[in-house]
Amino acid sequence: MFGLFGYQVSWSQLAWFGHRASGLGVLLYLFMHVVETSTVLFGPEVYDAAVGIFKNLPARLGEIVLMAALVYHALNGLRVIAMDFWPGLTVYYRPLTYGVIAATIVAMVPLSILMITPFAPWNPV
Amino acid sequence: MTVPARASARTIYRRNPSRAARPRPEEPGRDRFWWYFMRISGLVLVLMALGHMFIMHVLVQLRGEEINFAFVTSRWGTPFWRIYDAVLLLLAMTHGVNGARIVIGDYVANRTARSLLILLLVIVTALWILLGLLVVVFFNPDTAPSVGPFS
Repeated sequence: MFGLFGYQVSWSQLAWFGHRASGLGVLLYLFMHVVETSTVLFGPEVYDAAVGIFKNLPARLGEIVLMAALVYHALNGLRVIAMDFWPGLTVYYRPLTYGVIAATIVAMVPLSILMITPFAPWNPV
Repeated sequence: MTVPARASARTIYRRNPSRAARPRPEEPGRDRFWWYFMRISGLVLVLMALGHMFIMHVLVQLRGEEINFAFVTSRWGTPFWRIYDAVLLLLAMTHGVNGARIVIGDYVANRTARSLLILLLVIVTALWILLGLLVVVFFNPDTAPSVGPFS
């Protein structure tokens, strides 16, 4: 539990909110991604220009957020599925929720470093 | 002041086992179908969507490749990746939009507004899935124009 805007928010409430927010965010990206990929029908010049929009630091930071959203949504979704089909696991819902949050952070450390490297300010290529 | 009786752990499980999502609808029907669909498609998407991200953001970078027209041409040169992308598109779109439908159901109290919003969402999704499938199935590098319409 921690205080937020005068409310006591539990980590499991945050996990629930995070699942919705990450899901809607990934869905919004998906709609854009279909359009972006469709430009491949217009040939190499148009497609390379379209994907070129995403080859810079701000876009890469956005893609890292996308990766984090997807990793979190996947892990938290697995937790929900596990608890739905094995109700006995509900006893451990708190450590499992903390585990999902921790695993997301742990996974995002190497992924963020790898993904930011080509466009990082310290790596001008 | 009466103190509410504390529900036993067993009743809580039955009401909402995950304490994170919806309990399974008691009656068989459309709601229960979507309840199972979200969980089964979710399991498949954990592998397929994370696999897609792993290929595009980890493998591509480790191999020093670049995502461009030539990359798509070689990737979609094998039917496997066309089928993979078509299935991923269908599952991700359906899973995502059904999730959005449930969120709309939670926040839009007006029945007419809710129905219209969901109808709009379904129409837009159908168009997007159609566009995506057409691209995945009919993309042909030989007939694609080499010069864009804006040059």
